[in-house]
Amino acid sequence: MAHTKVLLVDDEKEFASALAERLQLRNYDVKSASNALEALGIVHSFLPDVVLLDLKIPGMDGIETLKAIKKFDSTIEVIMLTGHGDVRSVEDGMKSGAFEYIMKPVDIGELTLKINRASQKKQTS
Amino acid sequence: MDSQYENELRTLQMRFIGKIIAVFTHEIKNYIAIINESTGLIGDMMKLGKSPENELPVYLDIIHSIEDYIEKTTGHFRYLNRFAHRMDAPLSSFHINESLEELIALINRFANQKRISFKQGYDNDMPPVYGNPSLLQLIIFTFVEKNIMELEQDSTIIMQTAVADKSVLITIIPNGKRVEGSSAPIPTELLDIIIKELGGNISQDRGKNTVIMLPLTSSTA
Repeated sequence: MAHTKVLLVDDEKEFASALAERLQLRNYDVKSASNALEALGIVHSFLPDVVLLDLKIPGMDGIETLKAIKKFDSTIEVIMLTGHGDVRSVEDGMKSGAFEYIMKPVDIGELTLKINRASQKKQTS
Repeated sequence: MDSQYENELRTLQMRFIGKIIAVFTHEIKNYIAIINESTGLIGDMMKLGKSPENELPVYLDIIHSIEDYIEKTTGHFRYLNRFAHRMDAPLSSFHINESLEELIALINRFANQKRISFKQGYDNDMPPVYGNPSLLQLIIFTFVEKNIMELEQDSTIIMQTAVADKSVLITIIPNGKRVEGSSAPIPTELLDIIIKELGGNISQDRGKNTVIMLPLTSSTA
């Protein structure tokens, strides 16, 4: 069975690198990007099942990035990562088609559960 | 200062402190998230039976990263603590470079979100000044924020300090293109009143640089 492809978008490289490694240890196929432009490039080439997207990334607003991903392929599921209680951004993200959100620091069990649910939704869409 | 300006000043101060706290908590949450993932990764590796003896460099790298972020977190708390204590007394003797360094550290993430960076050109022989460091930080922040809002991505804001004719000069130099049509209004009249109360003035150099002048006075003057 093919591994779930996850794109992790976060400008904190150490955070992204450690989380990517933890997900790889759990058999996810993970790529990372540190800004919106790089993320959109990887979306086109890697065709992820799920994108973990930090709402505050340099270069383009997280919500705009989310919209661009959904415009490219509406079946890619996006889980928003937020480092603060920015309820409004989360609401905007959900309205723009995000599957779920998760607060930083993340609980790895909760995150993998959400990734698996998002991946299942993608398979059935 | 009349009551109308007093109210405007309080509103501006509350907004400023709110912004500092918001940026600070965001930064600290990110640091904690990195520490959390790093410790989690060590746990994952141990559960998978990756022996610390065989994977020593990997374990040490992760541990150094955790130590680094604990140090950064402590440093950031130190900046916020110093920032808060600047409001303890209306007037005190302080070092301009130190108060600027602290302010820039506390708002750096806000600028980074727009991919704007700071460059510092401080005169290392600045004597201490006597005044209100908290109000000075408020004035500087207001001009810096305006530049952050108006500059295009990948621009730089250069912060300079210098001593000249019994006064100190703080110059804020935006280095980059302006976003077309951008204009972030600032309460110029109020800022002029504040700086006059501090015995200084604000001027524009070459139409874009902001120069804040403060007199060099001692507490016994």
